[in-house]
Amino acid sequence: MNQNISSILKAVSKPGRYCAGEYGQVIKDKDRVAARFAFCFPDTYEIGMSNLGVRILYGALNREEDIWCERVYTPWTDMQEQMRLHGIPLTACESGDELRAFDFVGFTLQYEMCYTNVLSMLSLAGIPLYARDRGEDMPLVIGGGPCAYNAEPIADFFDLFNIGEGEEMLPEIVRLYIRMKQEGRYSRAAFLHEAAATIEGVYVPSLYRVTYCEDGTIEAYTPIYDDVPKQVKKRIVKDMDKAYFPDKPVMPYIETVHDRVMLEVFRGCIRGCRFCQAGIIYRPVREKSASVLNDQAKCLFEATGYDEISLTSLSISDYTQLEELTDLLLSWTDDNMVSLSLPSLRVDSFTKELMDKIATVRSSSLTFAPEAGTQRLRDVINKNVCEEDLLRAVNVAFEAGKNSVKLYFMQGLPTETYEDLEGIATLAKHVIEAYYQCPKRNRGRQPQVTVSVSCFIPKPFTPFQWVAQDDMAMLEDKQRYLGEKITDRKIKYHHHDARVSRIEAVLARGDRRLSRALALACEEGFGFDAWDECFDYDRWISVMERSDLDPAFYANRTFGLDEVLPWDVIDCGVSKAFLRREYEKALKEMTTPSCRETCSGCGANRLGGERSCCPTCQQ
Amino acid sequence: MLSDVSTVTNKLTWAKAYPMLETPRTVRMQFVKVGDLQYISHLDLQRAFYRIIKRAGIPVWYTKGFNPHAKMTFSTPLSVGTQSVCECMDLRIERDVPCDVIRDRMNAELTDLLYINEVYIPEEKFSEIAYAEYTMHLTGAWAGEETAQRIQALLTTSPLVMTKKSKAGEKEIDIVPLIAELSVRYDVAGGQLVLNATLSAGADSFLNPEMLIGAIRKHLGLLAANPLEEYYDIMRTSLLRQDMTRFR
Repeated sequence: MNQNISSILKAVSKPGRYCAGEYGQVIKDKDRVAARFAFCFPDTYEIGMSNLGVRILYGALNREEDIWCERVYTPWTDMQEQMRLHGIPLTACESGDELRAFDFVGFTLQYEMCYTNVLSMLSLAGIPLYARDRGEDMPLVIGGGPCAYNAEPIADFFDLFNIGEGEEMLPEIVRLYIRMKQEGRYSRAAFLHEAAATIEGVYVPSLYRVTYCEDGTIEAYTPIYDDVPKQVKKRIVKDMDKAYFPDKPVMPYIETVHDRVMLEVFRGCIRGCRFCQAGIIYRPVREKSASVLNDQAKCLFEATGYDEISLTSLSISDYTQLEELTDLLLSWTDDNMVSLSLPSLRVDSFTKELMDKIATVRSSSLTFAPEAGTQRLRDVINKNVCEEDLLRAVNVAFEAGKNSVKLYFMQGLPTETYEDLEGIATLAKHVIEAYYQCPKRNRGRQPQVTVSVSCFIPKPFTPFQWVAQDDMAMLEDKQRYLGEKITDRKIKYHHHDARVSRIEAVLARGDRRLSRALALACEEGFGFDAWDECFDYDRWISVMERSDLDPAFYANRTFGLDEVLPWDVIDCGVSKAFLRREYEKALKEMTTPSCRETCSGCGANRLGGERSCCPTCQQ
Repeated sequence: MLSDVSTVTNKLTWAKAYPMLETPRTVRMQFVKVGDLQYISHLDLQRAFYRIIKRAGIPVWYTKGFNPHAKMTFSTPLSVGTQSVCECMDLRIERDVPCDVIRDRMNAELTDLLYINEVYIPEEKFSEIAYAEYTMHLTGAWAGEETAQRIQALLTTSPLVMTKKSKAGEKEIDIVPLIAELSVRYDVAGGQLVLNATLSAGADSFLNPEMLIGAIRKHLGLLAANPLEEYYDIMRTSLLRQDMTRFR
């Protein structure tokens, strides 16, 4: 760290965030590498250090001897203030060098509300926001992650996006850059064109002309060169057993959100919850073998010293070798005082045998996500669990001495009525009753049910992508209504801020015109909008109004089934026809079985994949 | 990726070559925490050490009970913003591993900003610590002989009342009696002031070296302007007993 930053650290909160110097960080000689990559996580250090994707890509890039990848996080507001006051630019953790000195500045885009942090980081680094304003001396600004599937609201600020999984694609992009530099034929424009034309999964927004209809909807995306794909196809890693895995993670000194080994068991999800973007964009399902995972877990424990291993995946209980894996792990974890945790349990798979194996046993609380209050609405969203499943699961928990259950729901789901909302309150009551009916319950304690309700946000690449979000008045009225229905003091009720969800909906389904509002937001000092203490709804509405944009056009409008969507330029593997079929089935309250029961023809199997459950992938 | 599993596995099993002890043994690790790591809090450091011990494969003795945990005890806590070359942590081990082996295994998992100087069998309890020595560097355009004398005078003239904040609330204390020794000199070559201080460090009478900086700022107006032009660092250099000899 340079003396400048060290001097101001005495004046900011949590200075440990800005220290780096961690065990496991990669230091290279900057004069002996061919390309330098600043990997930016647009949120705090504590959150960024907990992200598995960053760990994977940091390792995958640094595995290349002539590429040096460093990390950058968003300084908290007090640090930003100090940096601006003293004219200190944003620097990377490892070298302490300014971002402007890098060849690539890459952002991982995990959630829409981090967009303002992306822009404030560019601004702190002294890099022009708009891609068109950056000259040959400026780094290439690239992005990836779930929000890249519809990055149109920030497309004007980026030179290039990665669509899909980056562990193979990202090094390919940097290799092309190095090659073109060495061959003396590099220019920004030539590089971007060649990357878009030759590397699958590369989306260069400036190579597409967007035209609009009179009603404000999109008319067409037209590539400006013939050799640039009309639709950019998502990249996947085909064989997860052979995929790069970070065996020497950087070890934070300060406490981060997930201070544990994160063992990625499989990608994708066999379910098909109709609101869930992750369940679609990570298809097809690709598993790792239990023996490979056991070796990787051992390796990670030895490299980190963490005393907890979390099996991470979208729905861990759907892993076909779960029993084999947990047995393999338990053969050495107990002796080494390491515990296992499973973060994403479905109620229909929660059994006593499973609970006996995992660490959640230690805490007195368990979390389940029924998502909706009535069977009718759970069928609409294709959750495929019923009340009996939930009551059976909580009984297992109560019999084991637990007394507290957390339930996640969504409000504002398509076709939702006030009866469905009342169903949430009823379901919570039934859980309380189940406690008192459970003979083996912990009689010394009172039951506690926490009902946590988020607002439905229509997301691109989901069957509900066309659906209008409830307007603010409706969202807030529904929150109030549910609050009135929950009268039992043993039931705690939390709900998300509807105003944040509305802005998230605008950004999720937004198009390129939103960049005006975001640039204005950056100018006016927005940042950390995912944090309640920083988010200001009225200012968001104000910047949109001053940019001649109507938030309702994006959030509260039912998009036409034949309308060109801003994200139609991306091919995520799952066909639009499948999403539409699912949408229509939802309105008829019809469910779709999981991929393991039967193939519903989503189209993702054409991407290939080993140890998948898709019929044609298994060849 | 897994090619080095054999060497890695050794990290978990190496200690098994040493016999179990009949009763757990306490070893003291004397460590250095410098540079950027001055900004890591005491609590975070404890957490980090717990993981370092695990990944080094140190045969830690775990408390017996419902929630087994390693027994780690630290000497006088170090404030955020203070570096040190003389921190101590006591740990109980269950196998007869030589101290130097523990040191080397630990250092293989550490960096040059946090590492173990020495591992030894403690000779006395942390409660014997009475004083800590510090070296501070003060940088600013005002650095010179005259300022050195003014600081010397300020910090040796009782009463010098400062507000001490603790969990119990704020308390006014005279810090001069807690300063056992103090010398300030001007380092011409470095263009900075060098302040050496021996401060009370007992459990009931601990004086945070930042208090000295606070007094200089409050009474002399130094170190109060642009932090890029006026700044300081603090290094704890040794822990002493009541008779001013080295604590072990």
